[in-house]
Amino acid sequence: MNLFEFLGNHTYRMVFLGTAAIGLASGALGAFAYLRKRSLVSDVISHAALPGALGAFLVAVLLGLDGRRLALLLLGALLVSGLAVAASGHIARASKVRVDTAMAIVLTVFFGAGMLLMRVISDGPYPGKGGIQDYLFGNATVITRADLATIVAVAALAIGVMVVFWKEFSLRTFDPAHSAFLGFGRRVDGLMSVALVLAVVIGVKAVGLVLMVALVVTPAAAARQWTRRLPTMVALSALIGAMGGGLGTYVSVNLGAVPPGPVVVLVLFTVFVVSLLLAPGRSVGHRLVQRARVRRALRETA
Amino acid sequence: MTETPACSVRGLSAAYGTTPVLRDVDLEVPRGVVLGVVGPNGAGKSTLLKAMLGLVPPLAGQVEFFGRPLSRVRARVGFMPQATTVDWDFPTTVRDVVTMGTYGFLGWLRRPGRVERERTGRALEQCGIADLARRQIGELSGGQRQRVFLARTLVSEPDLYLMDEPFAGVDARSQQAIVGVLHGLRQAGRTVVIVHHDLATVRDYCDHVALLNGTVVASGPVDAAFTPENVRRAYDVATADDPFLDVIG
Repeated sequence: MNLFEFLGNHTYRMVFLGTAAIGLASGALGAFAYLRKRSLVSDVISHAALPGALGAFLVAVLLGLDGRRLALLLLGALLVSGLAVAASGHIARASKVRVDTAMAIVLTVFFGAGMLLMRVISDGPYPGKGGIQDYLFGNATVITRADLATIVAVAALAIGVMVVFWKEFSLRTFDPAHSAFLGFGRRVDGLMSVALVLAVVIGVKAVGLVLMVALVVTPAAAARQWTRRLPTMVALSALIGAMGGGLGTYVSVNLGAVPPGPVVVLVLFTVFVVSLLLAPGRSVGHRLVQRARVRRALRETA
Repeated sequence: MTETPACSVRGLSAAYGTTPVLRDVDLEVPRGVVLGVVGPNGAGKSTLLKAMLGLVPPLAGQVEFFGRPLSRVRARVGFMPQATTVDWDFPTTVRDVVTMGTYGFLGWLRRPGRVERERTGRALEQCGIADLARRQIGELSGGQRQRVFLARTLVSEPDLYLMDEPFAGVDARSQQAIVGVLHGLRQAGRTVVIVHHDLATVRDYCDHVALLNGTVVASGPVDAAFTPENVRRAYDVATADDPFLDVIG
């Protein structure tokens, strides 16, 4: 199927636009997480999204609402993921436990709770519980018009927060201590966490909580190779994320019954490898060429 | 009535975790002087600056700037941390970093505009790094990095400057540039507090001195406070004829 046929099909177009929007937001916010050396926060967020979404599902069903409404599930995921991020940060600050340890502990606790909830739901008589397994490995084969609207709205909100607080985000990311001295302290961290949580939770159902971290980390790592300034890095990371999401679903549809999540990850990985090898300035390939040139110049002057 | 000092510290104590670093520090910085904070490694010189600014939470004590708490006069105080504290591989240019110094008085949400661009240009000029403005910060030498931090502090044009070892790891040329800026600030009547390592140059750079070793051993005008006896106490030198004391001149 060529790209025009693919985009002409309503179902595929929804999926394409949805994953592209997810990649755009997670790529943009992922650049900040990467530069603050907090990439794995996205793993905490995606794992904590499971109990959040499932808890929201249970509450919705018990209240007699439609448990499949994406906006509702996202709300639960947002709250619980936000709580998980705050908890790991608080543990690291208040104790001598290192932040990576704190994140691993929090991540597993929330994920364990999510698995228990999943068991409760699949054993119980809850209407509309089909598809809750998708959170683990992702399923983007069906994104309804309402789902897409929700995804795009939340992605726009995440990017909007980043744009509005651009100055504060960039200062805090570059030099946290100086930022605090100038009066931009932990409140900026809170805003950055909120934006990242927004960007990550919208992707969990489509990409899967296990692979979602790739959409946050990989575009940023690839984009870093090509640029020396923050605005270009964030824009490029967002672009790579969107491209990886869109192209990944296209390839996965063409391959047949392959879920898009893994394909998206492989597409992003390819971009990352190409960037590492070929980007000017920092890449392995560039360094080899430069060193050869210097060596030749030395030989000629000798 | 005498003018309120640029900074006054009363009974300041601070600790990293449970290890006390500063005990009961009293210090007064008169306006318009260059004050050197001098003392051996581990004396708490950097911690003193950070505790004064609230970057290390103090255990006890009060700090006032121009007679008021820091939160009320933040824009009048500038801080230059040690250059080792940031990721120099960060994708940003010299000009971007110096511009960040204007964010403090801009406050939340306001973006740097024409005025901030002009100030940034002046600060780059003053520190002799205007030609490096477009460089990625990782491409700079140690001395150039210090000058970027200095320019970032100058750009907000504060009345009081707190500088943590501005001469650390700096070559002769950068040292000269930084000294030039210091002299300029002094002539303009600004107040400067520098953490300083080199006893031999204290008399050249500083009007006042505070000898620190966990607490203030002595402070005041250089002629009165920077005596062999006080230096000996600050550095725990046992005998008065130790050749170490020759360096203070």
